[in-house]
Amino acid sequence: MTSQLTSAAIGILLAGAILYLVRRDHMHGSYALWWLAIAAAILILGVFPPVIDWLGQVSGISYPPILPIIVGIGMILIRMLRTDIDRSRQERQLRRLAQKLAILEQELGAARREASNVAAGNPSRNRSAQVIPLPKSGDA
Amino acid sequence: MGKSVPETTATKRAALAVIPARNEAATVADIVQRTLATGQCDVLVVDDASNDETAVLARTAGATVITVPFNLGAWGATQTGMRFAQRNRYHTVLTLDADGQHHPEELPLMLASLRRSGANVIIGTYSRRMSPARRLAGRYFRLLTRLNVQDFTSGLRAYDRRAVRALASREASLLDYQDMGVLMLLSKKGLILREVPTIMSPRRAGASRVFASWLLVARYMLHTTVLCFSQLGVRARIAVRAQPAAGSPA
Repeated sequence: MTSQLTSAAIGILLAGAILYLVRRDHMHGSYALWWLAIAAAILILGVFPPVIDWLGQVSGISYPPILPIIVGIGMILIRMLRTDIDRSRQERQLRRLAQKLAILEQELGAARREASNVAAGNPSRNRSAQVIPLPKSGDA
Repeated sequence: MGKSVPETTATKRAALAVIPARNEAATVADIVQRTLATGQCDVLVVDDASNDETAVLARTAGATVITVPFNLGAWGATQTGMRFAQRNRYHTVLTLDADGQHHPEELPLMLASLRRSGANVIIGTYSRRMSPARRLAGRYFRLLTRLNVQDFTSGLRAYDRRAVRALASREASLLDYQDMGVLMLLSKKGLILREVPTIMSPRRAGASRVFASWLLVARYMLHTTVLCFSQLGVRARIAVRAQPAAGSPA
């Protein structure tokens, strides 16, 4: 009976912690959903450990306690893979953003210099330079 | 100020020389002046978050300077130049290193062979500088990618409009060097690469960023091999997808 109490305590603690963190609104959209599902699974397995034995029987595993461990590790791996994919996507966006920022900064500087030249009554030799053409930007 | 970029007018401009530079204060001004002296291109120096006077010296020498907010690496800086060229409608982009190993005097030759040969990309190669290890690496990558390029790390290149469009794209943003990844992307898009022998100097300051030590070489080879494999997969997928589309009337 004590073992069931321990498992229930761990389950409730973990699920409670996840629920608390999700409720504090630190995660957006799908992440929160994923973690809520995990919290629910931990809660159920923690409070009703016989579910694991039943699952082991159904899936034909002779040593059921290994089942949540394997499933858990699998999920962690998938989660890490998704994290790396997300990070790569963000890295790409970050690099492109930095590039665009640098290009716009250069254009702003050129426009400012041109404007101050005009204001000082010293337009450049090039007439059309007073209007800085801003061509259509490519993809951001 | 000389031929800084915003002051030229034509809607469709000639060539832009993109010079990525990180802490190259010793050489950048000289390279910019010699590039401008060829009279065939505007000069853009992309300052890759240098700690020294690179940006100021390049601007004083007559280049347009873009300073990126944090270190983007050699390719990240070069791609910034590609995007600048696209935005300002240049139809050719030349790239060369700021460390003095590429001679700006070779640029007219590169431009001429880009125009004459009908290739989309011209790679300036210097076969004499290649060590046996480098040759071996070259053979290995040629085997892996079936690209017929001798000097795949050369940063002295000329790209036409189509190549610039391909390299300014999002797809090219996660590459790290202007080498195999770039070449594979270009050939995947069906662009034609050609090599032209040129004169180069040994690097004055420091060694090649890629071939500095055996550990780095190993890391680079592994990195590029992985890149090759992922690219090959993509190419196969695209070929499969393209087949039914090619047959359809649309």
